[in-house]
Amino acid sequence: MIEIKNLTKSFGNFKAVDDLSLSVAPGEIFGFLGPNGAGKTTTVKILSGIMRPTSGSVSVAGFDVAASPLEAKRRMAYIPDEPFVYPKLTGWEFMRFIGDIYAVPAAEQKKRIPELLETFELTAASGELLEGYSHGMKQKLLIASVLLRKPKVVLFDEPTVGLDPKSIRRFKTLLADIARGGAAVFMCTHILDMAERLCHTVGIIYRGRLVTKGTVDEVKKLTAAPGVRSLEDVFLELTE
Amino acid sequence: MLPVLLTRKAVTFRNTLLGLRGWRLAKNLMFSGAGLVMLAALYAGFWRLLNYLEGVELIGPILSWKLTSMVLLMTFAMVVVSSIIISMTTLYYSFDLKFLFSTPLDLRSIFIDKAFETVFYSSWTLVLALLPYIAALGRIKGLDWGFYLAYAGLMVPFVLLAGAFGILFSMIVMYAFPSSRTRDITWLLGSLSVGFVYVVFRFSRPEKLLRPDSLEVVAQYIQYLQSPTAPYMPSWWVTRAMEAYSAARWEAFASNAGVLVLAAAAIYIFIYFLSGRLYMRGFSGAQGSPRFKGGRRELPEQRLAERLPALRPALTLYWKDRLALGRDARYWSQLILIGALIAVYLFSIRQLPLDTPDIRSLVSFLNVGVAGFVMAAIGLRFTFPAISLEGNSYWLLKSAPISALGVMREKLMVSLLPSLLIGLVLITVSNRLLGADFFIAALSTFTILVAALVITVMGIGFGAAFPDFNVENIHQLESSYGGFLYMACCMGYLSLLVAVEAWPVQMHFAERFGRAHPWDLRAVALSAAMFVGLNAAALYIPWKAGQRNLERHEI
Repeated sequence: MIEIKNLTKSFGNFKAVDDLSLSVAPGEIFGFLGPNGAGKTTTVKILSGIMRPTSGSVSVAGFDVAASPLEAKRRMAYIPDEPFVYPKLTGWEFMRFIGDIYAVPAAEQKKRIPELLETFELTAASGELLEGYSHGMKQKLLIASVLLRKPKVVLFDEPTVGLDPKSIRRFKTLLADIARGGAAVFMCTHILDMAERLCHTVGIIYRGRLVTKGTVDEVKKLTAAPGVRSLEDVFLELTE
Repeated sequence: MLPVLLTRKAVTFRNTLLGLRGWRLAKNLMFSGAGLVMLAALYAGFWRLLNYLEGVELIGPILSWKLTSMVLLMTFAMVVVSSIIISMTTLYYSFDLKFLFSTPLDLRSIFIDKAFETVFYSSWTLVLALLPYIAALGRIKGLDWGFYLAYAGLMVPFVLLAGAFGILFSMIVMYAFPSSRTRDITWLLGSLSVGFVYVVFRFSRPEKLLRPDSLEVVAQYIQYLQSPTAPYMPSWWVTRAMEAYSAARWEAFASNAGVLVLAAAAIYIFIYFLSGRLYMRGFSGAQGSPRFKGGRRELPEQRLAERLPALRPALTLYWKDRLALGRDARYWSQLILIGALIAVYLFSIRQLPLDTPDIRSLVSFLNVGVAGFVMAAIGLRFTFPAISLEGNSYWLLKSAPISALGVMREKLMVSLLPSLLIGLVLITVSNRLLGADFFIAALSTFTILVAALVITVMGIGFGAAFPDFNVENIHQLESSYGGFLYMACCMGYLSLLVAVEAWPVQMHFAERFGRAHPWDLRAVALSAAMFVGLNAAALYIPWKAGQRNLERHEI
């Protein structure tokens, strides 16, 4: 569902992503881990089509993002780490906007939007302008908008920043539901505990290069040190 | 604490200068060079005007000082209004305010820091635009460098005083009505005042003041010239001080300059203490959002999209922009200023002293260029910024299944109809006021409709070629490199457009004057071909360049 082949992204002399290759299958939740500035956000931006690769290729749901961007984008949803939304639209209007842009039938929107707003406890605020929403509320609205359009690939960049504990728990359940529905999930995160519990596979990127990739158990076994080790221990060892 | 805050500004400025390298440096140098050319042109214009006034027998020197006092009074008024509008953002909505309030900084220090920022932003362009006038005045009066030094010294308390009015106004209004709605209302009132002052000033026909014969009695004119212009305003104190300096009347200079400095010091001491009591309440209130309850009704565009699915993305972007623009007070205030601009334009056309029908028809034709300029100026405020004003939310469109071309087409759809309407109103009303003949009226109407299309397409094209999704307001976009280039290209296009049509117009006037066989069809065909070529190039090149850049643009 997601295919990244020899992806490199340079900014001048600096290589933010260096010869990255990996794939994520339908129904798989992939956790992309790495310290600040390792190249996670750049990778996810290239996947979403808002940044172009210097070399290499990425394809989403069978469509090359560079060659057929619109086809690829129709099948994916992206949520960045900063939830910038249109401040002069209301929550309801924003959901309709996303539904219309992604060609969700109007009748389905009218049925699903109230349900989703209710799920994320945004019904009461849905008539207010988004400029008055908190960071967490905007993040919840974006997640609700992803569920409205049922994408085949979901890209999350630090999705739980700003969410309250209750919303984080709900998000985890929804993430598992999305994957069970057959979508491939690509999630950048710093929360290693969440990655360990939720992700089927993880990859660790460090200074633009993929240091390791595999199931959580496989990655944990990578270090030679004895005893039961957490993903955090492995992460720290590989990125030091 | 205040020195620490001011130092950070100096360091930021230094780092910005040091960061100028390569293309950015070249771009800024080109921009500065163009600015200097404009200042030089202003200087030449002012010099001619002041030279003429100074040469008027007996009253020449009084006339130039009278004009200086009027120019300073207008500058003062403009800084006051600008500071009202700008202080609402700088004092209550700056990006760094939340951080500053979280630090153990004294509230008054933060306020004074932001007050200085307000004075700077609301006055620097006006002070810069005044420089050529003062340089011309100094030269006409034969004054030495000390005059310019004294002027620079006088300008500091002058703009501080003007800015203080806006700062005080905002602080008191926000204290009384601590809400973000107050900011919107203030912006609207500010724009209304600017529009009102502009219209009233023009409708009062200031050109009469330069023509003594227009006043009934000469003595009345002399009395008017010698009377002070708003004697209790700082602009009058500055004029008196400069006049005293030029005549080496040091006592009068010191007393006027002293009053100016003391007034500025007194008002800022007052503001400093008052801010301790009023600022916090206003700032706290400004952090909330106004209550707004939107409905869930189906929009007309959504109903249309159900019938025309192919147009759905464009119609969706259209209703998003329509709702967002309608709810943004910044746009309403821009509309007020445009209304004032059009009113003044048409009034000026009406006042043109044209005698014969031939000249009136000729001016109607040349008016296409001037009306085009007005439209380009409006385009700089509305069409050119349309793409950049997607702002930080642009990622939504960039990651959505909408092409850059689709976004540009939709922005064109929003801007085109108003542009065509404005062009049509400007030209048809002007033609009627001027009494243009049928040929000129038809030609100018057709031309302005084509020009409206081209200027709008160019606005979107240049906006896409030079997008900036991180700006805080439209003014930053207007004064950007892309905005400057857009205006320059519009000027070039309009000049060529008038030049291309000049040939058939010349033949038309030859026919009016009764010349035999005035029409040369080959020349008309050539002119038409050049018209088509010019417009095709003006439509295609900026649009394609914008599309290519927007497709490649990375967030």
